[in-house]
Amino acid sequence: MSDRNRAFFSRTALIATAALVFSPLGVLAQSAAAPASSTQSTTSVSKDRWLHVRVISSDAKGETVRVNVPLELAEKVLPAINKNRLHDGKVKIDDAHVNDVDLRALVDAIRTTKDGEFVTVQSNDCDVRVAKQSNHLIVHVLDKQNSKKSEVEVKIPMKVIDALFSAGKDELDLVAALHALSAQGDTELVSVKDHENTVRVWLDSKNVTD
Amino acid sequence: MLLAKAALGLGGTIVLAGAYTMREGVIRVDVDEYRAGGSHVHLWVPAAAVPMVMHFVPSKHMRHASEQAREALPVLHAIVKELKKYPDADFLEVVDRDQHVRMRMRGGKLQVDVDAPDQKVHVLCPLSAIEDVTSQLEEHARGA
Repeated sequence: MSDRNRAFFSRTALIATAALVFSPLGVLAQSAAAPASSTQSTTSVSKDRWLHVRVISSDAKGETVRVNVPLELAEKVLPAINKNRLHDGKVKIDDAHVNDVDLRALVDAIRTTKDGEFVTVQSNDCDVRVAKQSNHLIVHVLDKQNSKKSEVEVKIPMKVIDALFSAGKDELDLVAALHALSAQGDTELVSVKDHENTVRVWLDSKNVTD
Repeated sequence: MLLAKAALGLGGTIVLAGAYTMREGVIRVDVDEYRAGGSHVHLWVPAAAVPMVMHFVPSKHMRHASEQAREALPVLHAIVKELKKYPDADFLEVVDRDQHVRMRMRGGKLQVDVDAPDQKVHVLCPLSAIEDVTSQLEEHARGA
């Protein structure tokens, strides 16, 4: 082997060895860089809308459930589920009638009605209030039947309800509703409080619960 | 001199193979059952090895698995695709006096932890590994 070739092979071997030795470092560097890129991703997804569910039980077991779902994820995954009544992100309902109530007609009526109180019941057992207020449908129930009161408050943007009923007849469009929900600001959708449990469903831009 | 070259070649190959194998991270499964005869499983598998190993699975078994998973595959595919956008996020947490269940993403890996008095289960799986498995099952489902 000539000196020139020997030098060439030596250099090649040196470069190859250096590359091999440093390649794991490259992998490590990528791993080390991962948190940084994760932070970037977290920041980039911070504009995303998250649906949070929190259930706190104050019974002996003291159970707490926290669920955080990105709305975009739900929007993309729901259409992939085709099972029973759920197809393409839509749920089939029977003739849009529930206990002989035409839901679609009811929604149409509420949509076209001005803000106001639709139902107000006040009794010794419970208080019920159904109202449309600032483009939100509000349902408030206070159960006073036993000594331990329970309270339910549901506040759904009208745009979400519209989107939910925007599919064809006898269908609820869940994906459209989620999409409409993602356009809303931070808001509490459901709140249930009784002597044992507290349930909260809300929407914000954080990917962790408090 | 010849021995040195051989050692260099072998060493280099091992380092390269190691780097290639570990590039996608490790699938980690830890199961500890605290009862008489309970099992203790601790498994570390390079994620990059999963698609390679799947190529050696007999076609009839892959087809069977694809058929079994046919309904779930599109959902799994969509979930994995979307989860990639959330490399660090907590999705589910259930805590009570005795148990703690958690499902979250950490550094692009899906992490499931179950801590109960009678058992502990910890699973850490890079999304790329789930994606590889899903893709291969989908390919076999199409071919079936």
